[in-house]
Amino acid sequence: MGKKALLLGNEAIAQAVVAAGCQVATAYPGTPSSEVLPAIAACADRLGAPTVVEWGANEKVAFEAAIAASFAGARACAVMKQVGLNVAADPFMSGALFQLKGGMLLISADDPGPHSSQTEQDSRFFAMFAKVPCLDPSDPAEAAAMVKDAYTLSEKHGVIVMLRPTTRVSHSRQTVEVVEGFELGTPVKFEKDAERWSPLPATVRRAHPHHNTRITRIQKEFEVDWGRYNRERPAKGKAALGVVAGGVAFSILCDLLDEWGRDDVAVLKVGTPYPLPSALVEDFIARHEKALILEEIYPVIEMQLLNRAKADGRWNGVVPSAGELLPEVIERIVLSRLGETPSEPDVSELSAAVEELKLTPRKPQLCAGCPHRASFFAIRRAIPKAINPSDIGCYSLGVNQKAVDTALCMGGAVTVSSGFYMAHKATGQTHPIVAALGDSTFFHMGLPGLLSAVYNKHAFVLCVLDNSLTAMTGGQPHPGLGGKPRKNDKGTAVPIEAAARGCGVSFVEAVDAYSMGAGAEAVKRAWEHAKTHSTPAVLVFRHPCMLLRVPQEKIPVTVLEDKCIGCRYCIDYFACPGLVFDEEKRKTSLDIRFCVSCGICAAGVCPHGAIAAQKEGESA
Amino acid sequence: MKYVIVGIGGQGILFTSKVLGKIAIDKGLPVIGNEVHGMAQRGGSVISHFKVGDYRSPLVSEGHADVLMAFDQNEGIRSLAFLREGGTFLVNINEPCALENAHLKKHLSDKKIQTCPFLGYEILDRHMGGNYLFLNVLILGAASGMKAEGLEEEQVAAALKELSPPKHLKANLKAFELGMKVINP
Repeated sequence: MGKKALLLGNEAIAQAVVAAGCQVATAYPGTPSSEVLPAIAACADRLGAPTVVEWGANEKVAFEAAIAASFAGARACAVMKQVGLNVAADPFMSGALFQLKGGMLLISADDPGPHSSQTEQDSRFFAMFAKVPCLDPSDPAEAAAMVKDAYTLSEKHGVIVMLRPTTRVSHSRQTVEVVEGFELGTPVKFEKDAERWSPLPATVRRAHPHHNTRITRIQKEFEVDWGRYNRERPAKGKAALGVVAGGVAFSILCDLLDEWGRDDVAVLKVGTPYPLPSALVEDFIARHEKALILEEIYPVIEMQLLNRAKADGRWNGVVPSAGELLPEVIERIVLSRLGETPSEPDVSELSAAVEELKLTPRKPQLCAGCPHRASFFAIRRAIPKAINPSDIGCYSLGVNQKAVDTALCMGGAVTVSSGFYMAHKATGQTHPIVAALGDSTFFHMGLPGLLSAVYNKHAFVLCVLDNSLTAMTGGQPHPGLGGKPRKNDKGTAVPIEAAARGCGVSFVEAVDAYSMGAGAEAVKRAWEHAKTHSTPAVLVFRHPCMLLRVPQEKIPVTVLEDKCIGCRYCIDYFACPGLVFDEEKRKTSLDIRFCVSCGICAAGVCPHGAIAAQKEGESA
Repeated sequence: MKYVIVGIGGQGILFTSKVLGKIAIDKGLPVIGNEVHGMAQRGGSVISHFKVGDYRSPLVSEGHADVLMAFDQNEGIRSLAFLREGGTFLVNINEPCALENAHLKKHLSDKKIQTCPFLGYEILDRHMGGNYLFLNVLILGAASGMKAEGLEEEQVAAALKELSPPKHLKANLKAFELGMKVINP
C-alpha cells in the first residue's frame, strides 16, 4: 500500500487525471469544480508529467481546446461547474457525435442545494441530452477510480465521457492513496479527415445513427461489466424496501442503515446513470414489492425506466424535486416508505432559544476591506437612480449594499445593460445605467457583449471591478494577469483597458477602488460620455483582493457615539462586517472581530461624520 | 467519531479539520468529511462535517455529532441540534452572557451536553497581539484539554507541527497551549 493522504474530492480526481496520462487539461473555475485544475497542475509538477494545464477564458474556450487535443490523439480533460457546461453546450452537443481519437473526459460538477450556484441543474441530464455516458461518483475515492475507467471507455468507443461529481464529492475530504506515477499518454498526430472532424449535415445523417448504436453498446457494458459501480447491497432475507440510489445519496443511505442497524432494506447502487443499466434496475425493482429511487437532482434514472410507476420517486412527489438530499431528508423518505415515523429528537427548548435570541443564518458578504464594497458605494452614490446590473461572482454580493439590481449569468452585466438601454429607447427614454462585473468575468463573457454594445451604440457605464484575481472561486489567475497553473509556465497578460479599447470603447479610465470620491466623480463623467455619444463607457476600479494579503496602510477607525444618530445608512449602503448596529443603543459600533482597519468607512461613508479615522495614540 | 465544526467564513475552520484528519490518518483510521468553499464561504455561516471510522458519507446527521466545535457563539447555538445526547460543545463566545438564555440552559442540561465556553477573542487579545487567525488552533487546544473524544495533547501538537506553515508554527504552538489552559488553568 502506498502513502495515504486526506484529499479533497477535487484533488483525488485531479491526481487520477494525471495518473491516467492526461496530456491536455483545461478549465474555467466555478464552485464546486475550481480546485481540480490547480491540483492537476500541482500533481503534474510533483510527478514531472508533461500535461499541458491551462485556464480557458471561459468554459466554451476550455472545452473546445480539450476536445481538439483529443482530435489530434491526445488524452484530454475539460473541467467546469454545471452552469459552465451551459456556456460550453455548443461544442459539447456537436462533439458528442464525433468519433474521437484521444480519450476525452468532461468533468461537470453539480451543486445540489445550491450552495454557490445560480441554478440546481443536473449535468446528468445534459449527458442524456447529448447521449454521452455519465459516471456519478458516491465519494471522492470512487470519483478518482472512475477517472481511469472513463478514459478506457472514452478511447474504446471514441466518445466523450462525463464525470459528474456533486458538491458533497468535490468538497469532501477522504483518505485516499497518493498517486506516485502516471501512464504515458497516447501518440499525438492529427490525421486530416474532414468528414470525421466537420459535422456537415450529410455526415451527421451517418454519425447520429452510429452514435445511437454506440450508446446502446455502452448500455450493455454498463449492465454487464461495470459491477464495481453498479452493485447491490442486499437485504438479509426478504427486503421490506428496495432503493435504487445514485451519487452521494447512496453513501448517506448506507450510513443511515448502518446507524439504524437495519438489514431489511436492499440498495442498488447506480454509478452509471446514463445510459441506465436498465436490465439491472428494472430487475431490481421487479424483485421488490416496494421500491424507491434516490438521485440528485433531477429524475434522470427515473425517466429512463420503461415503467416508472413501479417505483416511488420524484414523479409522484415522494422525493422532493428541489434541494439537496441531506441525511434528514433521506431518513424521512425511507422511513415513511417503510411505514414508520422518524423519531425526531425533542429540540423544542433549543428552537425557543434560537427564536428568543433571534439567531438567523449569516448571509455571505464581501470581506472586510474588500475593494468591491468601496466601488459599489461610489457607484451608488454617483447616480442613485441608475439601474445597476451586476454579474456572477463576489460582486453579486453588492446586493447587500443595494447597489445591484440584477445578476443573470456570466457576462450578463453587459448584455443586461444593453437590454435596459433598448427597452428605454423603444419608449423614447434615456435612463442612467451603471453596471458592474469582475475582471475574470469581463474576459469570460463580457467582451462579446461589449463589442455588440459598441456596434449598436448602447449608452451605459460598465465598471470592471479589477481585484487582480478570480476571487469567489478561490483566487485563480485570468487573461488580465497572465499567470498560468503550472510552475515555470508564464502567459501574456492582456490589460482590461486594452481589451476594451480594442472593442472600440472610446471612454476607458481606471481609478483606485479605495478612492470613493474619485470613483464617484469618474462614474458621473463616464455616464455623461456614454449619454452624449450613445456608446458604452468602461471604468476600471482597481485594488487587490483582500485574499491576496497585499500589505497596505492600516487606518484604525472609530465610531463617534455622540455623532451617530442611528440612521443605519452605513449598515444599509456600506454593509461591512466590521460595522454592526447595536439595536439597544440604536447606534452603529465597530466589530473588532472583523474590522481590518482598511479605513474606507472613515472616508465619507457616514453622512453625519460619525465614522472617523483614529488619531494617533488613541485606542479603540 | 463524528465532529461538526461551525463558524463564519474566513475564520480558518478548514485548518482545524485538516489537523483532525492528520491525527486520524496517523492512527490508521479512515476519514471522510465535508467542507465549504466558494460563495457559501464568503463571510457567511459555514459548517464542516468530519467523521472518523468506517463511514461512507461525509455528512453528520442531526443528533449524531460527538463534538460540536463552534468558532462563533451564534453559529454554535444554531447548530446544537447536530450534537448527540451527552456530546461535547466547545464554543468561542464573544459575549460573556451568551449561554445565559433559560431555554438554552435547559436544552444543554436536558441533553447532558458537556459545555466548554471560552472567550477566544479576549485570550488572543491578551496573549497573541489580537491576531484572531489563531482562533482555530486555540479551539483545538481547548478540545485536547477536554480530551474531547480521545484527542491527546501529543497527537494534536505533532499534527500541528507537520501542518503549520513554518512561519506560523511557533505562534500556533503558543495558541495551542493557551487553548489547553482554558480547560486546565
